[in-house]
Amino acid sequence: MRLPKFEYLEPRSLKEASKALAADPVGTLLLAGGTDLIVNMKHGVIQPKRLINLKAIPKLAYISDRKDGLKIGALTTLHDLASSSLIQEKYPVISQASKEVAAYPHQVMGTLGGNLCQGNRCRFYNQSVFWRGTRSTCYKAGGEVCHVVPGRPAGGREPIECHSTYCGDMAPVLIAMDARIKVVGRVEERNLSLKRLYTQDGKKPLSLKKGEILKEVFVPSPSGKTLYLKWRLRDSLEFPIVSLAFLIERNGDGKTEKTKIIFSGVGSGPVEASEAEKMLKDASLDNLMIEKVSHQAVKEISPMRTSIASPAYKRKIAGILLKQALENFKS
Amino acid sequence: MKRILKLHVNGEEFEILTEVNKTLLEVLREDLGLTGTKRGCDLGACGACTVVIDGKPHLSCITLAAAVQGKKIMTIEGLAQEGKLHSLQKAFVEKGAIQCGFCTPGMILTAKAFLDEHPHPSEGEVKKAISGNLCRCTGYVKIVEAIISAAENV
Repeated sequence: MRLPKFEYLEPRSLKEASKALAADPVGTLLLAGGTDLIVNMKHGVIQPKRLINLKAIPKLAYISDRKDGLKIGALTTLHDLASSSLIQEKYPVISQASKEVAAYPHQVMGTLGGNLCQGNRCRFYNQSVFWRGTRSTCYKAGGEVCHVVPGRPAGGREPIECHSTYCGDMAPVLIAMDARIKVVGRVEERNLSLKRLYTQDGKKPLSLKKGEILKEVFVPSPSGKTLYLKWRLRDSLEFPIVSLAFLIERNGDGKTEKTKIIFSGVGSGPVEASEAEKMLKDASLDNLMIEKVSHQAVKEISPMRTSIASPAYKRKIAGILLKQALENFKS
Repeated sequence: MKRILKLHVNGEEFEILTEVNKTLLEVLREDLGLTGTKRGCDLGACGACTVVIDGKPHLSCITLAAAVQGKKIMTIEGLAQEGKLHSLQKAFVEKGAIQCGFCTPGMILTAKAFLDEHPHPSEGEVKKAISGNLCRCTGYVKIVEAIISAAENV
């Protein structure tokens, strides 16, 4: 499968990359590890005129331990995260989640920034030109219809929505840990919480503005315990059918002070089950509470039929994963 | 758009006039004639195209050739030294870990990079390391045996 033709740029700095990106925001795309981008280009669902190789920019791959937390350069590979002794010791869940992404070569090639910014997925979108040729082009690929929810309301005035699913492994874990990100634009840098990177819009899943590039991730020192549970078709390579990052902080009495429940694979971005989190505030984790909380969390997700797994199955698995996580902290 | 790419492959420097939209797999097979690197799924999912770049396994079908200039690339043709098979290649032959042979170059190069990082792996670690390399013949048992045997004999 030949890649379509494109212009290839190797900038020397993020500022230069940002300028080039802003000059043609529609036709230009950023290349980091390429494990997602190149496949989508081969499938013809994205056809950039220009690619900017961020790996050509020096000093964007680093892991730096600070008093208040951890700074990770966006171009740090998942393999570097998985094998860093610092991360294994102080932030083991980050190391574990990195190892859950695809397989060994993908972890070597893939970067943290690329993983956080990976494209949403859908069974009607991540397919070859031949496969997609049997239907009209979907909304995400530039057409006028979403095949997940094909019926447009009468009158056709309501905007089409893209229901593609966010399937990243790193984002739920880092959101649960209250990570913040630094993005660089043509003129200035800005900081925002990682959660705010995601728009929950399948067509444009990231909130990055014109010319902005993710530069760094900051993870505060862990205050509780975080788990990452991933359910998939087989124990390697696959994206999650559903995955869950669960953070818990408890006080001296064993009651929960704070929890975070973040799912991947069930919405157009990482999904937080906020009401279930509220139920866990100051609660003791007994069987009844675990049952109630997982029942509540399942009501807060709206998975769509974007993979071979049905929404009902995803809901069921989401509840089971949360129960499994909570069982670890039973009173 | 054609460009001159400078690639360091199996200890040799090459200057190749080629299109920038070519993957490393295409350049290795078509411009350098190194057909030991196999084209399987061509989408980064089967591992047949694995090569070692700067000591780590990379999927050459989803790697742009232009992006790996200045890096040390090793293909299966570069593994045997002075006509002698590498210990992994020997182990694959001795343990019968090769049937049709299509996955073998990728499998051996993934194992090579892995053993360089983890010289004394457990069986589980070996299985995890090659989990991105698909083999449709062997059922993996003999491949895992061969990798463990090569690790013991280094």
